[in-house]
Amino acid sequence: MSLVVEHAAPVKKNYVTALKEALFEEMERNPNLICQGEDIGILGGAFGVTEGLQARYGASRVVDMPISEACIVGSAVGLALGGKTVMAEMQFIDFISCGFDQIVNMMATYHYRTAGEVNMPVVVRGPAGAYGGGALYHSQMNEAWFCNSPGLRVVCPSTPYDAKGLLKGALRDGNPCIFFEIKELYRKREIAEFLPEEDYAIPLGKAIVRREGSDLTFVTYGQNVYHCLQAAVELEKLGVNAEVIDIRTLVPLDEDTIFTSIAKTNHLIAVNEAPMTCGFAGEIVARVSEKAFEYLDAPPMRITRLDTPVPWAKPLELHVLPSVEKLVNAALKSVKF
Amino acid sequence: MSRTSGTAPAANATQKGDTPSIRPRDLLSKEDCLEIFRQLYLARYFDVRLIKEKRLGHLTGTLYSSHNQEGVLVGSLYGLKPNDWISPIHRDMPAFFLKDIKFDWRRADRMGLSIEEVCAQVWGRVGSPGRARDNWSHIGSRSKRIIHSTSMLAGTIPVAAGVVYADRLDGGDAVCVTFNGEGSTAQGIFHEAINYAAVHKLPVVTVVENNQWAYGTPAELECPTTDVADRARGFGIPGLVADGQDVFDVYDKVMTAINYARSGRGPSIVECKTFRAYGHGDHDDDRANKYRPKEDVEKGRARDPIAICRATLLALGHIDAAHAETFRAEGKNASEAKNDDFPPEVVTFLNEGIEFALQSSLPPADEGAKWVFREAK
Repeated sequence: MSLVVEHAAPVKKNYVTALKEALFEEMERNPNLICQGEDIGILGGAFGVTEGLQARYGASRVVDMPISEACIVGSAVGLALGGKTVMAEMQFIDFISCGFDQIVNMMATYHYRTAGEVNMPVVVRGPAGAYGGGALYHSQMNEAWFCNSPGLRVVCPSTPYDAKGLLKGALRDGNPCIFFEIKELYRKREIAEFLPEEDYAIPLGKAIVRREGSDLTFVTYGQNVYHCLQAAVELEKLGVNAEVIDIRTLVPLDEDTIFTSIAKTNHLIAVNEAPMTCGFAGEIVARVSEKAFEYLDAPPMRITRLDTPVPWAKPLELHVLPSVEKLVNAALKSVKF
Repeated sequence: MSRTSGTAPAANATQKGDTPSIRPRDLLSKEDCLEIFRQLYLARYFDVRLIKEKRLGHLTGTLYSSHNQEGVLVGSLYGLKPNDWISPIHRDMPAFFLKDIKFDWRRADRMGLSIEEVCAQVWGRVGSPGRARDNWSHIGSRSKRIIHSTSMLAGTIPVAAGVVYADRLDGGDAVCVTFNGEGSTAQGIFHEAINYAAVHKLPVVTVVENNQWAYGTPAELECPTTDVADRARGFGIPGLVADGQDVFDVYDKVMTAINYARSGRGPSIVECKTFRAYGHGDHDDDRANKYRPKEDVEKGRARDPIAICRATLLALGHIDAAHAETFRAEGKNASEAKNDDFPPEVVTFLNEGIEFALQSSLPPADEGAKWVFREAK
């Protein structure tokens, strides 16, 4: 008589589950990790990223904070000064502006101004991005503010695998990090995937080629990765073979993967859903122009949000944001230059 | 200070001048009292000497004088345990070396910065704990438990709350004393951080040095209440008012708040009424009588903390009348004060610090691009 052991069949995990797994596993692995934010304990977070975390690890390590982003970040700085690692949640990344001073003046500079005496292992993470009708204050991608503040890592995962691996990587990196999660991807079934059973962390600063192509390179991150992939499908029908690079980490930026691609395709379109002026797409264009100019057969282009806030009504929102159509048109213009 | 944790505070929770029948100062020995007196001279000498050095062209940074406010610093710091944290700001430069300095100023295991480190910082030399990467008082020490100050007023109060939270998680009983001007109480983060500390009963003592002037703006244009300490009511925490010119009154009130915090009952605000003797910084020469009436300045400086401490010691019999006549530093500005107005060990101590600073080199230029990020292990 044989004993049959039934194993649960592996299931595909969505983006928010991947984040949740990363937090549970890091809380288990690192007893010095503290999580804090608005509504993250009793409620389990506005989006459920910290669901069950307080029940498992207690209210002293999973802290419901008063509504003060400045204090959430400021006390995280103090916790780090006291030797802790901190995950500080912004309920929406739009609200991070209320904690801006603590991030850019206190946290980002701490290692620098103490000549390396003090480390700031603090990950400030939160739901970001438009396309969901969130309007002005629930749609922002304000990553450029932080890329322009030396001392901060800036990360933006686009898949469940990356969400888990990069969050772990960020929590182990030892530097302060602003971690942009794409809330429109949190529960998107189409991108759910099997995650490794074993522990893994993705080191910051490694881009990934999401689609190989020979005629043109889209360089992007976050939700626009999917717009670029869709555009690539449309372009293929028109005989244009587009490569799509997901940079995953803005600071530090993996230039090599971008330059290698440009050397092959000779055409660049940098894409982000933040406004154009001083946005990260501009940084990518600048670096390619400075360091890989000889590979370019056409002026590098940017497809970004217009220099506007994100409006609410659907036609307005779609009008100002990057779209598959805008990407296809730009690509055709680039390859025909 | 008899409220117990968890009970709703009475409407009149603000406690002005209300100290227990046995005051913290009553537990100080004669030696302690004399040491406090000596530390007032040390803080004053540091200030007048640096002003002289600046006028001689030896310094490049801006000086934020703590002249006339030494009672707040010494009185707030004297009762701390070595493992406690402090968070000074720009006008508190002596706090960095006054922390845990009791009696033997050269003790190797002190939990404070050495006079050499502080002087190296003032001179912008590599011997500074921050290797001269930020200016004036923007130093600190994780190992000595001093929060590094910045220019963002009240911005270190949440950091103080976080650092004592960490200490509590590790089983410690440290408190953090933060120093702030009355002007900084207009900042949102002042209130946000104290609110958080009060919710979690964190051992943070917020000392407000109310020196009546925030740069060129008088206190009444910064804070609508007569006493800044009244702000405590909104948080259900004690708000105490001390005479900042009387080092022993500061000691009483801050120690009361420290004991309250250490026992797990939470934060307090201690307002120390004082007066800014000079301009905001040495670039702001208010001798020109530009925005502060001369009579107000004279009145504000009339109650010198050194003189008030001396009178107390005389009354207690800790010093005799002859002793009281030596070292008359009070009432003298940087131009008037001479070295022999101060105890010789004070002058020697600072001379040694300055000597170290002058021998310390400027940092190598390429350090300007270092330590943006932690280097990979």
